[in-house]
Amino acid sequence: MNVPLAELTFTIDADVVIAHLRGEIDMSNAPELSDAFGSRLTNESRGLVLDLTACTYVDSAGIHVLYELQERLRNRGLELRVVIGPDSEIATALELADVPGAMGSADDVETAVASLRG
Amino acid sequence: MTPQTRAREHGRPERGHGQVVLGRAEAISPTARAAQLGHVYSLTDPMLAELGLEALLNELLERTRDALGADTAAILILDDSGKELVARAAKGLEEEVEQGVRIPVGGGFAGRIAAERVPIFIADVNHADILNPILREKGLRSLLGAPLIVEGRVIGVMHVGTLHPRRFDDEDAALLQLAAGRAGPAIERARLFDALDHEHRSAVALQRSLLPERLPEVAGIDVAARYLPSFDEVGGDWYDLIELPDGYIGIAIGDVAGHGVRAAALMGQLRTGLRAYALEGQPPGETLKRLDRLLQSIRGRGMATASYATFSLETGALRIASAGHPPPVLVSAAGEARLLEVPVAPPLGTLPYPAHKEHEIALGAGETVLMYTDGLVERRGEALTVGLERLRQAASAAASAEAICQRVTDALVPALGAPDDVAMVALRNVPVEGELRLRLPADPQVLVQVRQMLRRWLRSCGAGPDDTAALTLACGEACANAIEHAYSPGGASFELEATHDEGVVTIAVRDHGSWRTPRGRHRGRGLKMIRAAVDEVDVRTTPRGTEVLMRRRLHP
Repeated sequence: MNVPLAELTFTIDADVVIAHLRGEIDMSNAPELSDAFGSRLTNESRGLVLDLTACTYVDSAGIHVLYELQERLRNRGLELRVVIGPDSEIATALELADVPGAMGSADDVETAVASLRG
Repeated sequence: MTPQTRAREHGRPERGHGQVVLGRAEAISPTARAAQLGHVYSLTDPMLAELGLEALLNELLERTRDALGADTAAILILDDSGKELVARAAKGLEEEVEQGVRIPVGGGFAGRIAAERVPIFIADVNHADILNPILREKGLRSLLGAPLIVEGRVIGVMHVGTLHPRRFDDEDAALLQLAAGRAGPAIERARLFDALDHEHRSAVALQRSLLPERLPEVAGIDVAARYLPSFDEVGGDWYDLIELPDGYIGIAIGDVAGHGVRAAALMGQLRTGLRAYALEGQPPGETLKRLDRLLQSIRGRGMATASYATFSLETGALRIASAGHPPPVLVSAAGEARLLEVPVAPPLGTLPYPAHKEHEIALGAGETVLMYTDGLVERRGEALTVGLERLRQAASAAASAEAICQRVTDALVPALGAPDDVAMVALRNVPVEGELRLRLPADPQVLVQVRQMLRRWLRSCGAGPDDTAALTLACGEACANAIEHAYSPGGASFELEATHDEGVVTIAVRDHGSWRTPRGRHRGRGLKMIRAAVDEVDVRTTPRGTEVLMRRRLHP
């Protein structure tokens, strides 16, 4: 789906839902992004991989959405992994907010999916 | 049947009054004949045609009264309902007009003339069926009236009266009808003109209501626009400036073929359509393609030309697509204007599946793009190239968007309006150099524009990707906080000031609230992120507001 500034698409790899986020996230579209995950979280799956390789900006409002998402998943017994590309423009922001440490991150989608199944 | 033979008396013959047969005088002296011709001439005088309606009616009533040797003369006209006559002009009977006397069609003296469409003569007012009390109060004794007929329709009544008993004959009736024949079309013409004028004014008001009320104020660009109705009719020209959700600026111009309210209404639909597709994030070519599909789906559709471009605040890239629209003008920072060659698709509404190609140029610092409609450059009997060259010369100025619009208007649009309506919109890429100073509305939507402006400014300072990302993040957090402080939606604003000195970038974000106390488990991250992203941060709270001062040394 389209949220202003960004685009969120979903793919499914067996028991893992993969969300691809493209664009920029700030306080203007963070609430919509949070809503956009809602319907995709089912108990059927093992967890969610959030692919941020095409995400070019994220501020604290966006990071808040990530932590909130992790909490919602946890309440259903699901896990979250984030994929931060090697040359990610948002790596600094995510590291400043301890996202990789708190959620578990990978350089690519395959590794993230595997770590969920591990 | 001549008018004379139709004239008949309306009185009360049973009482022995006014039983008069109107007939031609048996013999007429040469002097009387000359006087008669003089009267005829006075009522058909070509000079009357030069008068405006009020002056004409005044003069005509005066001359009719004189020609018929009467004491009063008056004109009543049928109101919009067609059921009542209203006093419109009078001589010697001014009260009739002042009091707005109304007479029902079919009733009384004037009412019967209108209903029966024939001249009526009343020998003695005291013994006739008269509805208007003023006629009696004035002491009128005899009356002669005739209908005002225009194209077979009665539009009013003209009558004369005398203070002494007087027998009006066929000659008199003919003279009165001559005057009536003069007054009728003049009144009708004025009424049609009024109606047209009213319609024109309504159409212009409609047109204006369909155009943007005001242009968005966006930091980093300078914009101006004009809509100039033609001297006679409204048209379907429009312009638009759209703040796109990804921080780009959309600039649109269009022209619905045809004139009048229909063209203006279709314009309103197309402007809204284009804006909607643009806000969905569609690029220029796709936006025009969808607009074309929209136009083709509208019943009784028309044809339109349009051009739409997106402008990047960050890079200055201008992507433009055109559907049969005249080429935009590009004005350099030095003030040299040239026409932009843009691939042009057919006009909207003409072909089933046209392809809308895009063309990209870099709108450099200080450069202006001017988009306009053909009414600006097209003149009857003149090659289009002549008009385009005139435009190019008028737009050649190192000036603001507003000044360029004004120069072009002054040079190409006649003071009373062009033959066709004209719309134009100009966008200037304001140079960003030295220090960056922005005053911004406290609206989350501006965050993306701030980032784009800041990245562009940081690039001009020689900042690399890491420095740019860190400073953009820190500044974004500070701005987001300033926006959260805004208590009054709509009115509040905040300021951003960025300076670069010997490899150190300093950014100050000032608002008029206090730093928001972090709430919730994950709140408070903003300030933490700022602290981590810059070398130095200082949050100062004063009674006037909060200032966040951030400093970072650029890495070579």
